[in-house]
Amino acid sequence: MSGSKEDDRKGSSEWREFFWNPRTHELLGRTAASWGLILLFYLIFYLCLAGMFAFTMYIMLLTLDDYKPTWQDRLATPGMMIRPKGNQLEITFSTSDTESWDGFIHNLNSFLSPYNDSYQVQTNDECTPDEYFIQEDSGEECSGVLDRFYGYDKGQPCILIKLNRVIGMLPGKERQSPYVTCAAKREDSDKIGLLAYYPPNGTFNLMYYPYYGKKAQVNYTQPLVAVKFLNASLNTDINVECKVTSNTLAAGSDRDKFAGRVSFKLRINDK
Amino acid sequence: IEELEMRYTTSVDKGLTSSFAREVLERDGLNELKPPKGTPEYVKFARQLAGGLQCLMWVAAVICFIAFGIELGRGNLTSFDDLYLAIVLITVVVVTGCFGYYQEFKSTNIIASFKNLVPQQALVIRDGQKNQINANELVVGDLVEIKGGDRVPADIRIITSQGCKVDNSSLTGESEPQTRSPECTHENPLETRNVAFFSTTCLEGVATGVIINTGDRTIIGRIASLASGVGNEKTPIAIEIEHFVDIIAGLAIFFGFTFFVVAMFIGYAFLEAMIFFMAIVVAYVPEGLLATVTVSFTSTITSVCSTSVICSDKTGTLTQNRMTVAHLWFDNHVHAADTTEDQSGQSFDQSSETWRSLARVAALCNRAIFKPDQEGIPIPKRIVVGDASETALLKFTELTVGNTMDYRNRFKKIVEVPFNSTNKFQLSIHELEDPLDLRYLLVMKGAPERILERCSTILVKGQELPLDEQWSESFQTAYMDLGGLGERVLGFCHLYLNEKEFPRGYQFETDDMNFPTSGLCFAGLISMIDPPRATVPDAVMKCRTAGIRVIMVTGDHPITAKAIAANVGIISEGSETVEDIAQRKRIPVEQVNKSEARACVISGGQLKDMSSDELDEALRNHPEMVFARTSPQQKLIIVESCQRLGSIVAVTGDGVNDSPALKKADIGVAMGIAGSDAAKNAADMILLDDNFASIVTGVEQGRLIFDNLKKSIAYTLTKNIPELTPYLVYITVSVPLPLGCITILFIELATDIFPSVSLAYEKAESDIMHLKPRNPRRDRLVNEALAVYSYFQIGAIQSYAGFTDYFTAMAQEGWFPLLCVGLRGQWEDVKLQDLQDSYGQEWTYSQRLYQEYTCYTVFFVSIEICQIADVLIRKTRRLSAFQQGFFRNRVLVSAIVFQLCLGNLLCYCPGMPNIFNFMPIRVQWWFVPVPFGILIFVYDEIRKLGVRRHPGSWWDQELYY
Repeated sequence: MSGSKEDDRKGSSEWREFFWNPRTHELLGRTAASWGLILLFYLIFYLCLAGMFAFTMYIMLLTLDDYKPTWQDRLATPGMMIRPKGNQLEITFSTSDTESWDGFIHNLNSFLSPYNDSYQVQTNDECTPDEYFIQEDSGEECSGVLDRFYGYDKGQPCILIKLNRVIGMLPGKERQSPYVTCAAKREDSDKIGLLAYYPPNGTFNLMYYPYYGKKAQVNYTQPLVAVKFLNASLNTDINVECKVTSNTLAAGSDRDKFAGRVSFKLRINDK
Repeated sequence: IEELEMRYTTSVDKGLTSSFAREVLERDGLNELKPPKGTPEYVKFARQLAGGLQCLMWVAAVICFIAFGIELGRGNLTSFDDLYLAIVLITVVVVTGCFGYYQEFKSTNIIASFKNLVPQQALVIRDGQKNQINANELVVGDLVEIKGGDRVPADIRIITSQGCKVDNSSLTGESEPQTRSPECTHENPLETRNVAFFSTTCLEGVATGVIINTGDRTIIGRIASLASGVGNEKTPIAIEIEHFVDIIAGLAIFFGFTFFVVAMFIGYAFLEAMIFFMAIVVAYVPEGLLATVTVSFTSTITSVCSTSVICSDKTGTLTQNRMTVAHLWFDNHVHAADTTEDQSGQSFDQSSETWRSLARVAALCNRAIFKPDQEGIPIPKRIVVGDASETALLKFTELTVGNTMDYRNRFKKIVEVPFNSTNKFQLSIHELEDPLDLRYLLVMKGAPERILERCSTILVKGQELPLDEQWSESFQTAYMDLGGLGERVLGFCHLYLNEKEFPRGYQFETDDMNFPTSGLCFAGLISMIDPPRATVPDAVMKCRTAGIRVIMVTGDHPITAKAIAANVGIISEGSETVEDIAQRKRIPVEQVNKSEARACVISGGQLKDMSSDELDEALRNHPEMVFARTSPQQKLIIVESCQRLGSIVAVTGDGVNDSPALKKADIGVAMGIAGSDAAKNAADMILLDDNFASIVTGVEQGRLIFDNLKKSIAYTLTKNIPELTPYLVYITVSVPLPLGCITILFIELATDIFPSVSLAYEKAESDIMHLKPRNPRRDRLVNEALAVYSYFQIGAIQSYAGFTDYFTAMAQEGWFPLLCVGLRGQWEDVKLQDLQDSYGQEWTYSQRLYQEYTCYTVFFVSIEICQIADVLIRKTRRLSAFQQGFFRNRVLVSAIVFQLCLGNLLCYCPGMPNIFNFMPIRVQWWFVPVPFGILIFVYDEIRKLGVRRHPGSWWDQELYY
C-alpha cells in the first residue's frame, strides 16, 4: 500500500513538474521561447492555409453565374407546398370557433400581400394582365378580397397550392399549362365532397415561366392555385393529396413526398 | 531401497495393495497436470471487447440506439442511419475483439501442450500382479515397469534396470540419450541417474521403479506451474500500442465532452448534444486502426525491434550442434582440420606416415556407423548411430581417408572393449589387412593423459621414438593448448601384437585383459569441437553495430563456452576477463581492477553464490558476458537481472525448463528444430532454422516493421482531423453537415485500410542496423511530433481541402458560403419544404437531404485525394519520396488504385444514395482537392529537406517524427 502511495505521489509530482518545471522554467515541457517559436510557426502556417483557402474560395465564387446556379441536380422535380401552413400540415378548425382559424387567415393574408393589386402595379409592370389571376379569376371566393375569411367561417376553406420556384424551369410545352388535381386518399374519398379550383382547372399559367432568379426578377410572385372545399364532411379527418400534372416535369421519386405533390390533412369541426 | 519401501509403504516386488493405492489416489488426486486456474475463456473474450477504444465505441453505439429509439418513439422517423451506425460500430468492436482473442488464444495454450505429454497407459504392479491401468490413476509408491518406446508415467526412482536409456529432451532440450540405472550418481535429482522423469521417453531397455512424484508435483509439473506463474509479460509492441490507444481514447473523450458542453451551452437539446458527442467519438477514433495493426503488424517479429540484449544458447544456436574434428596433433605439430559446414575450408598436410597410423586408429577404434542408404547425402549431413565424438571421428575419417566401412571390413575386428568411466579408454583388436601378416593390431583411444600413461613410444614421421621427458612435455603443451580452445581432446595409440605370443585364434578375454594394455605406441591427439555456425560471427558484429548486447548462456564447460564466445566475437579480440588480466600481470585475481576487464565468464556455481545486486553489478561492468554451466532456472535469474537494468531482453531456449525464462523475457525465442512444444508455446517467436543469425535478421525486420508501423499510424491518424472538423464547424457555425458518420466509417473501415496496410511493405529508408536500439521510455511508437504533425499540419490541410470542396459543391448548386452559415436550423427542418437558396430557388427537405449527401460524398472524395498524397509522403520520414522511388512498393501502388476504384464504386453505384448516403457527384469535384494534395506533398518534401539538411535544428526537432 505504502509503495503504491509513494508511486502515486511520484507520479503526481512528475505531472506537476511537466506542467510547470521551476528549474528550467518550462510550461508543459517547453520554455517560453520554445512556445513562442512554435506558436509563431503555427500562426504563419495557418495564416498561409487560410489565405490559400480564401483564395480558392474567391476563385470559385468568381466562376459562379449571378443569375443561374451552375448545377441544378437536385431540382428536377419542383416541390409543392400549401398555404396556409400549419405546424403539421394539418388544417383543423371549427367553423364556430373564430380563434381556431384566425391563424390561418393571418397566414394567408400575409402570404398574399405581395399579390395585392396595388403592390403588383408598383413593382411588376411588364407582364401580361393575367398576372393577378387570383384577384381577377377567383377573387370572389379565395382572394381574401371578397371573403375576408377565405370561407373558413362557413366550413368551406380555401387552400392555396404553390409550386416551388426553380430557375429556368419550363413546366409545360405545346402551350399546355401544368394543372393541379386534388383528391382524397382512398378511404376518405367519399368524405371530401366537391372541390372548386381557381383558376378553373387548376392551371399554373405558362406565362409566368420561366423564372430567372431573384436577382433578375426581384419581385417575382409565383402563380398559385386555390382549392376550395365546398362540402367536405364535418368532424372527420380527410387526407388530401394534390398533384401537379405536366408534360415536361418528371414525376418525383417515391422518397420525396413533396416533389410535384403535397399531402395534408383537413378536419372541419362544426362546434 | 528399504528406506524407499518404508517411505512409500510399498514393496519392491509386490507393489502397493490396490486398496491402499485407492486411498493414496484420493489423497493426491489424479496423476495429471492440472491446467492453471486461468481466466475463463468468456472473460478473456469480454476483456478484448472492453479496451479503451472499444468502450468508447460501445458508448457511441448505445447513444445511437437511444437516439434511434427516441426518434422511433416520437414517430417521426426520417432515416435508419442511427441504427446502421450502431450496428456497424458493434460489428467493428466484435470483429476486432475476435482478432485480439484469437491472437491471445494462440499465445496462451501453453498448458494444452503439456497435457499432450501425459502417457495413456502404464504397466503397474499391485498386489504382486502386473496390471495395465490408465496412467492418470497411478499414485506415489506404485511399482511400475517401463520399456523402450514408453513414456515415463510419473517421476520414478529406478530399482532395476537393463540397459535403460531415456530421452530427456522434453525436459531439458538435450536430445542425447541418457542411461538410467539404480545407482545414485548425484545429489541433485535432475542430474542423478536413478530417477526417470514424467513425460520423458524411454528409448531402449527395461526398468522397474517406484513412483516418487505424481501429477503437478513432478518436475515437469513444477515447471509448468512455474511457467504459468511467471505471467504473460507483454511484448514491447503491445505496450506501445496500448499506450497509444489510451492517449487516443483520452483525447476522444476530451474532445467529445468539450463539444458536448459547448453544444449544451449554445442551446442544443440534450439528445442532440449526446449525438454530437457520439459523432465526435466516431470521427476521432481510428476504428480501422486496431484491425489493421492486428492483421498486418502483430507478427511477433515486431516485438524484436527494441531488443537491446540477446541471451543466446550456445549449442545449436551459435554452433552447428555437431561435434567436428577441429585439430590434430601429430609429428609435434598442431594441424587444423576443416570445420566449416560445407567442407569448403583448407585441409592439412596428409603426407606424413604418422597421419596414416593415426587415421587407422581413428577409423578402427570406433563403434559408430552410418545408417544405411545414405550414399547420395553429403558426408556431414549423414545420420550416424553412435555418440557425438565417435560420430565426429567417423565423419572425419570418411572425409579424409574414404570409405570407412570398407576399411573396417578389411581390418577384421576380433574383440573390443567399449569405453567406460573407470578405465577411460576404448580399445579393439583387429586382424591386419595383409593376409600374410599374421600379427594382430591393438588400437586404443581415450582420455589423453590415460593414453599417454600406457605408451612407451611415440610415432614421429613414421618412426617409433622412445617417449622421453621432452616428448611428454610437448604432448602436455599441445594438450593444454587444445584444451584451452575449449575442445574435447582424445589420445590415440596402437600396438602390433607379437604373432608368437598371440597367434591366430588366440582367445582374447575382454574382462581380464589377457593382452598388453601398456607399452603402446602413441600416434597423436585429435580434438573436437562443436564449431560455430558460419553466419554467426557476422551476426554478432551486426548486433554490435546495432547496439545490441549478446550474452551467451550455456550449460557447457566455461572453457568451451569462452572459446566459442571468442570465436564468434561475443568476447571481442583484445578483451580480457579478470582471470586473463591476473595471468598476464601475474597477480592474484583479487587484486585485478574489475573495471579493466571487458569480458567476464561466470559459471553456474559462482552464479548461485551471487546476490542479485552482485549480478546486476557484473552485468553493468562487463559488456561482454558469458554464463557457463548454468541451469535453466538460472537463465531466468539472468533475464530478470537484465530487465532490472532496463534492457529489453530476447532469450533463446529449447527445453521445457526454459519456458519460464522464455515467458519472462520480453521476447522469448524458441528453437524450431530442437525446441520442445512447451518452449515453442512459451515463446513469442520461433526460429525455424535454430540459427542465431536469424534472430539478428529478425531484429532488422522488426525495426523495419516498427518504422513502418509508425508510418502507418501517422497515415491513419491524419484523416481523423478532416473527419472531426466538419462536426466542429457544424456545431459551432451551424452549416449543413458536411460529413456524415456512416461516410466516416467508410473511410475508416474501407477505403483507407489498404493503403495503411500497404505501408507495412515499405522498404527501409536507411541502414537501420546502424542505429541504437530504441529506448522504450523515450522513443515511443507514437510520439508528440508524429501526432502534432499529423493532426495540426497535414490534417489541417486536409480539412481545408474538404471544406473547399464542400463549399464549392454547395455554391455551385445554389447555396453560397455566407448563406450556409447559420442555416442548420432551417436546413434540417423536416417540415420546411420551400427553403430558398441564394438564387431564390425553393428546395424541399428531401432535396436538401440529397444535397447534404452530395456534400458528404464530396468531403469523402476530398479526404480520399488528400490521403493519396498522405500515403505518398508517409513512405519516408526523412528521405525524399523521389529518393525512395514511387513504384518500388507495388502493394502501395495497387492499394492506391484500389482505394480510387472503391471510392468510385461508392459514388456511382446505383442505390448508394439511399443505403449508404453516397451520391453520384460531378466529376469536377474530384479535382477541387487536388491542389491541396499537391500542397501536402510539396510541404512534406520541404519538411524532409529541412530535416535532412539541418539535423538537430529546431526544424528537425519539431517536425521529425
